[in-house]
Amino acid sequence: MADRTSLRVTDAWSLGPAVWLVAALALTFYAMVYADAYAMRVLTLAGAYAILALGYQFVFGHLGALSLAQGTFFGVGAYTVALLGLHAGTDYLFNVAAAVAIAVALAALIAVPVRRLKSHYFALATLGIAEVVLIGARDWEALTGGANGFSGVPGMSLFGLVVPRGWGEFAVVWVVAALLALLAWQLRRGLPERLAAIAREDPIAAQAAGVDTDRLRFVALLLSAGYGAVAGALAVPVVRVISPEVVDFRVMIACLAITVVGGRMRIAGAFIGALLLYPLPEWFRFLEGHDLIAYGVVLLLAVLLAPDGIAGLIASLMPKKSSGAAPTSTGELVRPTAVPSRRSSDGATLEADGISKRFGGLVALDSVSLRIHPGEIVGLIGPNGAGKTTLANIFTGQYRADVGTVRMGQHELSRWPAFRIARNGVARTFQTPAMAGALSALDNVAIPRAFMEHRFGRGGPEQRLVRARKAATACLAQAGVADLGPAPSATLPHGLRRRVELARALALDPNFIVLDEPAAGLGETEAAALAETLRALAESGIGFLVIDHDMGFLLPLADRLACLYEGRLIAAGPAAQVRADPRVIEAYFGNALPYRTKPTPETGP
Amino acid sequence: MEIAQLALNALVLGASYALVALGFVLVLNATAAVNFAHGDLVMAGGMLAAALAAVLPLGESLPGLFLLPMVMLGMAALGLLVSLLAYFPLRRGPPVSVFISTIAVAIILQHGIKAAMGPAERVAPPILSGEPVNLFGLSAGRQGLATLGVAALLIAGTAFLLRHTQFGKRLRASAQDPDMARAIGVRVGVMIASSFALGTALAGAAGLLFANSYFVSPGSGGNLMIKAYIAVTIGGWGSVPGALAGALIIAAFEVGVAAWISSPVAEGALYVALLLTLVMRPQGLFGEATGRRA
Repeated sequence: MADRTSLRVTDAWSLGPAVWLVAALALTFYAMVYADAYAMRVLTLAGAYAILALGYQFVFGHLGALSLAQGTFFGVGAYTVALLGLHAGTDYLFNVAAAVAIAVALAALIAVPVRRLKSHYFALATLGIAEVVLIGARDWEALTGGANGFSGVPGMSLFGLVVPRGWGEFAVVWVVAALLALLAWQLRRGLPERLAAIAREDPIAAQAAGVDTDRLRFVALLLSAGYGAVAGALAVPVVRVISPEVVDFRVMIACLAITVVGGRMRIAGAFIGALLLYPLPEWFRFLEGHDLIAYGVVLLLAVLLAPDGIAGLIASLMPKKSSGAAPTSTGELVRPTAVPSRRSSDGATLEADGISKRFGGLVALDSVSLRIHPGEIVGLIGPNGAGKTTLANIFTGQYRADVGTVRMGQHELSRWPAFRIARNGVARTFQTPAMAGALSALDNVAIPRAFMEHRFGRGGPEQRLVRARKAATACLAQAGVADLGPAPSATLPHGLRRRVELARALALDPNFIVLDEPAAGLGETEAAALAETLRALAESGIGFLVIDHDMGFLLPLADRLACLYEGRLIAAGPAAQVRADPRVIEAYFGNALPYRTKPTPETGP
Repeated sequence: MEIAQLALNALVLGASYALVALGFVLVLNATAAVNFAHGDLVMAGGMLAAALAAVLPLGESLPGLFLLPMVMLGMAALGLLVSLLAYFPLRRGPPVSVFISTIAVAIILQHGIKAAMGPAERVAPPILSGEPVNLFGLSAGRQGLATLGVAALLIAGTAFLLRHTQFGKRLRASAQDPDMARAIGVRVGVMIASSFALGTALAGAAGLLFANSYFVSPGSGGNLMIKAYIAVTIGGWGSVPGALAGALIIAAFEVGVAAWISSPVAEGALYVALLLTLVMRPQGLFGEATGRRA
């Protein structure tokens, strides 16, 4: 795997320009010298499928969203070009443009409701759309010619010149494929592919780090639709026949198999997959029309044995490049508040007012009001199921309150999506730390910051990333994990991941941070060190809401305590006062139990 | 009377869909992953029933009821095989890998069976043969009533197994919280394999019922898969009663719209209704059974 901490090394292009040139020459040579008319046609269509797969990589590979509508965009492109060519007689290039426009418009229409859906609903919704289009193609006979479709689709023409069958079509398709590959590379490399990695592995954590995952999916879906339509628009003049086959689920399966077998995220993967799999039926002639069995077997083997595809296997065999732009730790402590731009909300109080939240019949929160001042540490306690995490989720936008508002200064946060809250001053950590395992700890902290354009976004992407990495190094140091930077975060133990999450929150330059059980699983000295860090950060002006069970950790740390019990706030005030409140003692410790400052692990006989 | 007849038809279709959805949701809960091969496993069950009827000595005159245990047993074994091939090696990976591996299994099943048995529609012997029965003026084939009865028995049996036996409790425990179940000594891997076996056996039963009421061909799997998926989505992801209710709603919708307008319109309208449901109430009509603790 390529060194991901480096900005220079992009995984997509890792085979190197020389290899690409040799491969292109070899393909051309083979086509010119050895291929007969039929082989030429297969190679030409393989090029179209490579384009289809390149588009699919945006949404399925980089964002991990299993769209089952990619074959549909291919079909929409094919139908548009075929029907316009047959009935309207318009120019081929115009038809291609129309195909892209229609597919992208369809994708936009789909994406608005569908982009937010969780993975399994996203798959089903896109499958539903694919089925609707298939039914339309089959049953709207007046337009589509029904199940038989139409033959005699006009061939390609460029600016009035008819493209010759065979080598002419081959050249057009493969030149377009090369150009679209370059475009895909430009669009993905550097920041976007890393941002996508964060959004892919845990969308909720990504949103909490200020990443607009909905927008990413929206853009990726439109791109995938555009690429898919171009593929269909290139394929149909070669085939010269249009029928519902082009929107059949087989196209989707071929595209999925090509992408998985070739490589989900690598440009080379789309080409390797298409050149290997599209001619597959020719290679398995003995299967006599049952060639899809081979697709199934190859797909299964690829998922089991080569999750990064053949391009991934090849890349892992190539020597690793050294990183060119890895930041060096300066050891210098930069206060996160020492950032030049100030928010209008700086100095404002974070206020939850009359929050209620129900889940079905269960009242999770019942008119809870809580206020956190800048520089203040508020501890939130309560027995399991009291509603602490629900309240945290409402503060940072993972949940919407049924009733009540969250405000910070003049901003009503409860109207905002989670990523916007995170970008505008309220960051958080989770009970179970969540981050992109493939990226380094440093990049998990730096990438979201690099994308907060209005605050840190001046300059080109490379400058931004370098700057963000510098800031992230400082934030890691503040969180007490300065030396973690280059480590891939997947290998980090739980406790250290918590620290990286804290650093990620700090990197957003927040006014407030919500910490969900930050001391869970920490030893006594580690917890003390964390308390010291939090104290120092609070002194710099950040307000904290700290959820924890460990009273030995929370009592000396918190300026104020609030206690939730069965969704209601039963006490709030100075720590000493709340801990002495009889209702708190009864609710939290149970009136039969003697009061202990720190729960000790039970030691059985 | 016509409405009542339609309702009865919808109920028979809904009972078959419910069996399909039940097997799907059992595996879904055990693995937290979509088994996209489920529809093709139903199809495989139907084809197995047809094939058994062709090779067994009594042949076509053997009532389907005798085939049922054989089909379920064979399918349970196939379910174990699917779990070993397509689930367990990917257990630690992202759920989308299992989705893809089961798509691969679906393709292999569909085209493998097509290669072995041909693309034609097949019929399995009826559960019970005989003349249609008249019930309060409604015509109900014995097959329809038998379908209803067998489906109801299997669903009730599964419910009893899940709720009232040690095995069922272990199964549910490992689906709800695998780590906790492991901590109290439940062998989670065995439970997942059992869920595959049970879910696939139910798929086989559903396939047998479909194979004589509605015919089965190697290409039927995809459609059945989507029906189970939709049933579980509108019923609330992960909810067993919700999946059954969802299956009945789909059947009522299909039979109703098909009688009112036409079959293709019914199919299209079902997807449009699904998309609207996903947009308006992504948690399903009755709420999701599983949620994430953020």
